[in-house]
Amino acid sequence: MIKSLLLILFLIATLSAFAQKNYIISGTIKDKSTGEQLIGATIRIQELPQNGTATNSYGFYSLSAPDGEYTLLFSYIGYEIVIQKVSLHQSIVINMDLPSKSELKEVVISSNKPNNDNVASPQMGADKLDMAQINNVPVLFGEKDILKTISLLPGVKSAGEGNTGFYVRGGASDQNLILLDEATVYNASHFFGFFSTFNSDAVKDVTLYKGGIPAEYGGRLSSVLDIKMNDGNNKDYTVQGGLGLISSRIKVEGPIVKDKGSFMISARRTYIDFFLKASSDSTIKGSSIYFYDINAKANYHFDDNNVLYLSGYFGKDVLGLKNTFGTNWGNSTGTVRFNHIFNNKLFSNTSLVFSNYNYVVQSFQSNDNFKATSQITDVNLKEDLQYSMGSRHLLKFGLNILHHTIAPGNISASSSSSFNNLNIEQRYGFENAAYVNDEWKVNDKLTFLYGLRLSGMFLLGPGTFKTYDAAGNVLTSATYASGATVNNYFNLEPRFSASYQLNEENSIKASYNRNTQNIHLLSNSTSSTPTDLYVMSSNNIKPEIADQVSTGYFKNFNDNIFEFSAEVYYKWLQHQIDYKDGAQLLVNQDVESQLVYGSGRAYGLELFLKKKYGRFNGWIGYTLSRTELKFDAINNGNYYPARQDRTHDVSIVGIYQLNKRWTFSSTFIYGTGNAVTYPTGKYKVGGLTTYSYSERNGYRLPSTNRLDIGATLEGKEHKKYHSSWTFGVYNVYAHRNPYIISFRDSKTVPNTTEAVETSIFATQIPSVTWNFKF
Amino acid sequence: MKRTKYYISVLFIVLIAASCTKVVDLKLGNNTGELVIEGNIDDSSKPQTITLSRNVPFTNTNTYPPVTGATISVTDGNGNNGQFTEGPPGTYSVSRLQGIQGNTYTMTVITNGKTYTAVSIMPVLVPLDSISSIQSVFNKGNNIRDITVHYKDPAGIPNQYRFILYVNSVQVKRVFAYDDQFIDGKSVNLELAENDIDIHPGDTATVVMQCIDKPIFTYWNTLMQQQGNGPGGGVTPSNPPTNITPATLGYFSAHTTQIKTIVVQ
Repeated sequence: MIKSLLLILFLIATLSAFAQKNYIISGTIKDKSTGEQLIGATIRIQELPQNGTATNSYGFYSLSAPDGEYTLLFSYIGYEIVIQKVSLHQSIVINMDLPSKSELKEVVISSNKPNNDNVASPQMGADKLDMAQINNVPVLFGEKDILKTISLLPGVKSAGEGNTGFYVRGGASDQNLILLDEATVYNASHFFGFFSTFNSDAVKDVTLYKGGIPAEYGGRLSSVLDIKMNDGNNKDYTVQGGLGLISSRIKVEGPIVKDKGSFMISARRTYIDFFLKASSDSTIKGSSIYFYDINAKANYHFDDNNVLYLSGYFGKDVLGLKNTFGTNWGNSTGTVRFNHIFNNKLFSNTSLVFSNYNYVVQSFQSNDNFKATSQITDVNLKEDLQYSMGSRHLLKFGLNILHHTIAPGNISASSSSSFNNLNIEQRYGFENAAYVNDEWKVNDKLTFLYGLRLSGMFLLGPGTFKTYDAAGNVLTSATYASGATVNNYFNLEPRFSASYQLNEENSIKASYNRNTQNIHLLSNSTSSTPTDLYVMSSNNIKPEIADQVSTGYFKNFNDNIFEFSAEVYYKWLQHQIDYKDGAQLLVNQDVESQLVYGSGRAYGLELFLKKKYGRFNGWIGYTLSRTELKFDAINNGNYYPARQDRTHDVSIVGIYQLNKRWTFSSTFIYGTGNAVTYPTGKYKVGGLTTYSYSERNGYRLPSTNRLDIGATLEGKEHKKYHSSWTFGVYNVYAHRNPYIISFRDSKTVPNTTEAVETSIFATQIPSVTWNFKF
Repeated sequence: MKRTKYYISVLFIVLIAASCTKVVDLKLGNNTGELVIEGNIDDSSKPQTITLSRNVPFTNTNTYPPVTGATISVTDGNGNNGQFTEGPPGTYSVSRLQGIQGNTYTMTVITNGKTYTAVSIMPVLVPLDSISSIQSVFNKGNNIRDITVHYKDPAGIPNQYRFILYVNSVQVKRVFAYDDQFIDGKSVNLELAENDIDIHPGDTATVVMQCIDKPIFTYWNTLMQQQGNGPGGGVTPSNPPTNITPATLGYFSAHTTQIKTIVVQ
């Protein structure tokens, strides 16, 4: 394996040796007013259009060109373009500060020509969200939300009404790798999925990869959502925040040492629980329901070549019934990163990442008190390198050593309790990976992005490990010493994308990639619950594998103001997991005996039309897709639609800036109903009406549609501070979107049964938030 | 542990104050006329009964056509066997076959030329000490009660239980099935949490406690999980795994039976 990686490196090195003598232009691009590094800003050479590049996650770029006179164009969405002439007779460093357009405080219909990255870049299946746009998209309760905005993109489906869970190209929601400053976030939602854990105040950059996932990412089948936090303003102190109907937030940022280092702290808390105080029911009155989260980050630039970053996230949900029952759950992450620029070609980032998700369930009643806890803890050491090799190759390679500790369940109870103490053995394992990825500009038209990732999963002792037969009986049981390898799996994951640019405005792209997944979420509930349980690949559970091919046509028109894309994909899924009937997943020593394994397939067409600039902007996305699963024990071994199968999915987002002060926005969604299982008959056992079923997910909930509107009113201009109001109405025409349909004995006509549809939001939900910044 | 889901569901529903329900008409498939066998053997001296019927379309009334003329027998492998005779159509019974704890019972049903068999072990009885009523955690203002059962789980052996709750002789439409995964060897106070019938002081509550074997526990537990209406709508429903071969709807359960009745305080 290592040999083949070296061979690829050697080949690339040989190829680039034929290139002529080039000089290098490198540097870092930042926001002029805050000093925030800009991710994905583009640098182009007017005279050599094919030599352009983009900044990496830390604002660093490097490109090369032969001796000569050039015009450099630095651009970034939402920022003024900067043009600089250079005489290139030796390698030079150009650090550039771009002024943001919003500082001009006027409606700008961009005068400079927007870029055509979506056509030119070999990356496909990727969406980079514009944070300014997220802030304008109307959402439930006025809580602007990254995950809900993502679900408005083609190929991404919301897990349900008001839910931040999402399905990408037919994948399950645990098949998304969600990274916050490189730390895995296991449970990305608060409050059963109504809110995401990401406070968008603290977020700088969001990129979603649905396909063509670069080799630097791995570990999940369906997608990568890479979220980067703000670094903090290194020029001035600012405070911003918002007061909303159900939550408030505040962010403080500023320089630690001016132009050298900065910090950012952002916090948010909901106060739904204050409304409960108004309840007449004393138990509900005494209940607690809230969540909070804190994002913090600091950085220090020792010099132009050495930067240290510290970032952390801490969030918790608390839910409790007075004197009866309580639960809390949350994520915490911490990342230490060190950027080092070895030279103008080689950039290095070393990260040490900590990530934890835990939950606690407690009963306080005297005769059945208990406290149940479960957690997963990761420590991850990553080394990522980026090497610009001539003007045609950008090489990325690295290593990743990730250690998991999973404590599946621990129950402690007092001696008077009817519960026993119970401790399920902890599980330990390493998920290691090595990757190499090259972006190769073959010529003006053709670009390849190709790479290879080797992943190795090692399940380690100590502990007793069992295997089970199909019926769930123990076949073998073996005890391993601490650190002994119980099982290992190696997988080679090829990643390949190609783009062929037909002309400035049109390109076609194709990609193939394989992804594997060694950490699996067990949950037989259909939405996000606090009691999520993770297991590693083991003697019983094989790594999940997905192979995806996709191809697409990309077009820009009207001077790149509009972009259009059409992509098709087909995905094969192996070793998918489902549960036996009546499976007991919580605090179960033999939880792996409760699982069944199968395969799946997903395919679809995604259309996307976006107007990127102007007073009026927004997009229309449409997805036509199918996702099917196949398990021997389910549906007679035939393919059946997965719950997340949605034939049609439409989203329309429109944002209109009326004048300096008013901005209006609107979203409309339409989707085929979820695939569900309905009874095909009824009978009576145990004195109760019981329903019989013939096909899994053979029916559809009614289709869903909803219109939301929002408006932002900017406050009058002040030198010292700035304020704005955000208004929103969720579900404008009060459509009753079905949440679940259940079946019961009729309450009105005796001796008959009825189907009952429950809608969560059957009415308009208004919201108002006051935002401030000074 | 088991009530966690119930509490979370209730809080979830409370929160979603804007939610609403309506009765809808659905076009449902029709896969009916399947044989349903409900076989029970218990340790009481009453006649044992096995009923045979067929399932009907969802839109029909809750009346199920009996399956008549079947040949049914149950043996315990110790020489005790009973030949069931049909009384009312579809209801087959035998008077002298009192179940014995620890014995393995085999049911054989021959109907329409097909033979169905099932095996169930009658567990050792765990005494139901008492039942009591407590103020419900919710709805305190309305003076609503919950029924709690009290028993001591025997240590070191797996036990499974099913409870049936009646309020003023009307069965509560909930399945209550529990095992001793978390409570092995403990004095248990188990609240039969439900929201089908509101129980008030003065009502008569009757609890039937059955000690059941593992496959029958899986059967009832599957049904119990499916009745969850929590966030997301619970698990995907399916026919619960039967212990009858060849598979058909229903089950065959050998269990102990205890009954206690109280007037709710």
